[in-house]
Amino acid sequence: MATSDYQLLDRYAAGDESAFEELVMRHQKTVYNLAYRMLENHADAADLAQKTFVQAFLHHRSFKRESSFRTWLYQICLNQCRNALRDRARLVHEDVEELALAAPQDTFTQVARSELRDRLGQAIRTLPARQREALVLRVYHDHAFSEIGVIMSCSEGTAKANYHHAVDKLRRALMAGEG
Amino acid sequence: MTCNEIKELTVPYLELDLEPSRVRDVTTHLNGCAGCRAEMEAVRQVLVRVKGMAVPDPGDQFWRGFPQRVRREVARQQPSARRTWNVIRAPGWSLAFAASLLLVVGAWSLKGLLDTGPVPSGQSVTQGPNAADLPSLDDADWAPSWEDDPDMVLVEMATQLDRQTMDRLFAGI
Repeated sequence: MATSDYQLLDRYAAGDESAFEELVMRHQKTVYNLAYRMLENHADAADLAQKTFVQAFLHHRSFKRESSFRTWLYQICLNQCRNALRDRARLVHEDVEELALAAPQDTFTQVARSELRDRLGQAIRTLPARQREALVLRVYHDHAFSEIGVIMSCSEGTAKANYHHAVDKLRRALMAGEG
Repeated sequence: MTCNEIKELTVPYLELDLEPSRVRDVTTHLNGCAGCRAEMEAVRQVLVRVKGMAVPDPGDQFWRGFPQRVRREVARQQPSARRTWNVIRAPGWSLAFAASLLLVVGAWSLKGLLDTGPVPSGQSVTQGPNAADLPSLDDADWAPSWEDDPDMVLVEMATQLDRQTMDRLFAGI
């Protein structure tokens, strides 16, 4: 019978380093994929996935085991994603201001063209964080809405509403692009 | 059902997140409404396209090295998580603990002397009237720990004294 995450955590707490490795290997792809879906580049996703595990292991004693270890990892990962997206938004804002002063006009044209190539990706990118989280957790990670609610620290109904709004916005964006 | 009601139920319908009776109602409406069918198909297409957006796999080398990178970072950050303990381990605090320990033991010994008068020759102060009630630091096998981490032993000693005897000792002084 496979060792449960809780058992591995107990072994890690008792000093068993192999349990640490097994836990990371068991969840690394899922956490990385979630981070990638939220941040859309390898460097940021890899960095954030690493931070997620580091936080989990540094604070594993505060994990109350009211949810699965994986759900807890998701929560940590999404918190990190929100921070990263906030930082990124601030940086982009500053960059755009600098760019507006310095860059030649055709830079903007190129950016606009590249964005148009991926209308769906752009539409996902512009979703509010909570809607995007609900979308990613539902579509790519196949979570039930009840679990999405736990991960996002909201009710199941709120998780559903976020998801529905996300899908609706994407539909409108695609229709606008194709119309 | 109206078209507006159907619109609200499009996503739950596609997600199989509706009661069977509601599913029947929506299906019946869709069979007779081309507009809602098109709407339903558009949403389904969105979900199919979103689902089709793959995450590039960073490759085996990345995954093999990942646990090690996490481990290194945890090890690097662990000292900061143990900062409180490190403060106690700092030389000044160690001395303070040792001094506190000596003070408590000294006070306890003094009380034993006062209670029993002069110590008869060949009798140790620890054999006073309260000695049997007091936990002996000799009860614990400190030696192996002392070699590993003397600071920790000092803290443990102080903690035991505090827990089991301090109240009584200070009440009598």
